[in-house]
Amino acid sequence: MNCEQAKTQMLGENQGDDFAAHLASCDMCRSEASRIGALWQSLDLLPLDEPGGQVRERFYEMLGAYRQGMASAEPRKTRQLGQWGWQIAAAAALIAVGLALGYVVRGNGQPPAEVSQLREEVANMRQLVALSLMQQQSASERLKGVSWSYQVEPSDTEVLNALVTTVNHDPNVNVRLAAVDALRPFTGSPATHLAARNAVVQALPKETAPIVQVALIDFLAELKERNAAPELRRLVSDPDIDSGVRKRAEWALERMQ
Amino acid sequence: MITRIGMGMGIATLLATQLCAQDSRQQITMPFRDPSMPRKLIVEGGTGSLTIRGYQGQDAIIEYTGREIPPANNRTNRAGRNEPPAGMHRIGESRGLDITEESNTVRVNNQSLFGGNGRDMVIQVPAQTSVNVKTMFGGNMTIENITGDIEAENFNGQVTINNASGSVVAHSMNGKILVSLDRVTPDKSMSFSTFNGDVDVTLPADTKARFKMRTDFGEIYTDFDVKMEANAAPVVEEVKDKNGKSRRRVRVDGTQSGTINGGGPEMQFTTFNGRILIHKK
Repeated sequence: MNCEQAKTQMLGENQGDDFAAHLASCDMCRSEASRIGALWQSLDLLPLDEPGGQVRERFYEMLGAYRQGMASAEPRKTRQLGQWGWQIAAAAALIAVGLALGYVVRGNGQPPAEVSQLREEVANMRQLVALSLMQQQSASERLKGVSWSYQVEPSDTEVLNALVTTVNHDPNVNVRLAAVDALRPFTGSPATHLAARNAVVQALPKETAPIVQVALIDFLAELKERNAAPELRRLVSDPDIDSGVRKRAEWALERMQ
Repeated sequence: MITRIGMGMGIATLLATQLCAQDSRQQITMPFRDPSMPRKLIVEGGTGSLTIRGYQGQDAIIEYTGREIPPANNRTNRAGRNEPPAGMHRIGESRGLDITEESNTVRVNNQSLFGGNGRDMVIQVPAQTSVNVKTMFGGNMTIENITGDIEAENFNGQVTINNASGSVVAHSMNGKILVSLDRVTPDKSMSFSTFNGDVDVTLPADTKARFKMRTDFGEIYTDFDVKMEANAAPVVEEVKDKNGKSRRRVRVDGTQSGTINGGGPEMQFTTFNGRILIHKK
């Protein structure tokens, strides 16, 4: 056996007597073979990557999040399309199992985890930008912060709280006006719609600028927010309030009937 | 460190460059401490008209006129407090004006709310100064030749901003908003609003912006090529009522949106009783 033939056998399993004889006679092949042998041995020493609790947790988390999403986003459809819902859930579960298997096979779940982490980071960054801009001294910057708030998830309570603070306390009329509008997306999210509605109700008695009062009244009429009725009636009967605002409050009360 | 000029304290004479008693016109110079740093002027209160003008200088020059009260009104004042004693005339103001400088911010606090005499005030500042003005009982407000961020809020009078460069956030409750910008700082949000009056804004032709416009009892006019967004379309929302029943609601938002020159930062135009006019410079 020559070196060429020995090398082809080196990686195989059935190494015959010829091979052993060649190794005994050839220094180069012997050292090569021992190098490869050592590599195999050290590979054997590597601990086998067990699926472990993390994968299990992640799988159930995913399934839970999916179920929650299905339950909260489209409660009516889920009920109507019950069977479909379960089929979709089963499909999602299968996908999740596939993903989990993927984690196991790859040893770790780096790429998908990175993607979701990245997504989370982007969301965090948007939140941070909106929150920090809303703290700025310049009204123009605060306005920008308010328009950034449209880019966060409407379930983001921190951004909602910052907007509510702006609606109630910002010294600039235009910034308050913009912030009232920016509350709209939050009234459509199951996680925040109650807090957002309450914020609109509570902001009205504090507001003194008619342009913002009208924006709040329109919003309350749109939400058909009955809790605001006492305050609207007070506005209607207060002679110190601008007549345009009073008429609007009257109109809103009618719309709520 | 704060420099303070209190009119009642006699310190004012140290810095007051002029004191023309005859027409009760006074001028006070307040330097900005560091000419290399950004400057800011804050004006609060005031019952007369207010003009803020950029000029080629380093200091804030505050000039004001105490309006003489018509005799008929004077009699209604308690104990005739504003009647000058025989053979004498009033010089200066007794209270209510406070001018300070701190970290390159000059603050003019003009709280002469109770004397019944409005002060007409002209403040000159270096052209590159940010301005923040808020008055409750003032008349018309004019800001011109300023390069910087301008915030202006008025109650009963018109807000006029001319030859401005930078950004503007302006509101009047019962007055027109009339703004002309020579240049806009890119990426700055702006907002113009009034309750009763027109919003009339002139912008450079190449301004990139997204307009948000709303008027309840008026029309919107512009010579800009505005790409309107299909936002007049009703929004369908899924809502739960108190009984947990879910239903759909259709909402038509009165706000119109559109972009110019490909879009950019938000510019909001709002009036309740008035027109919105957006001119191309």
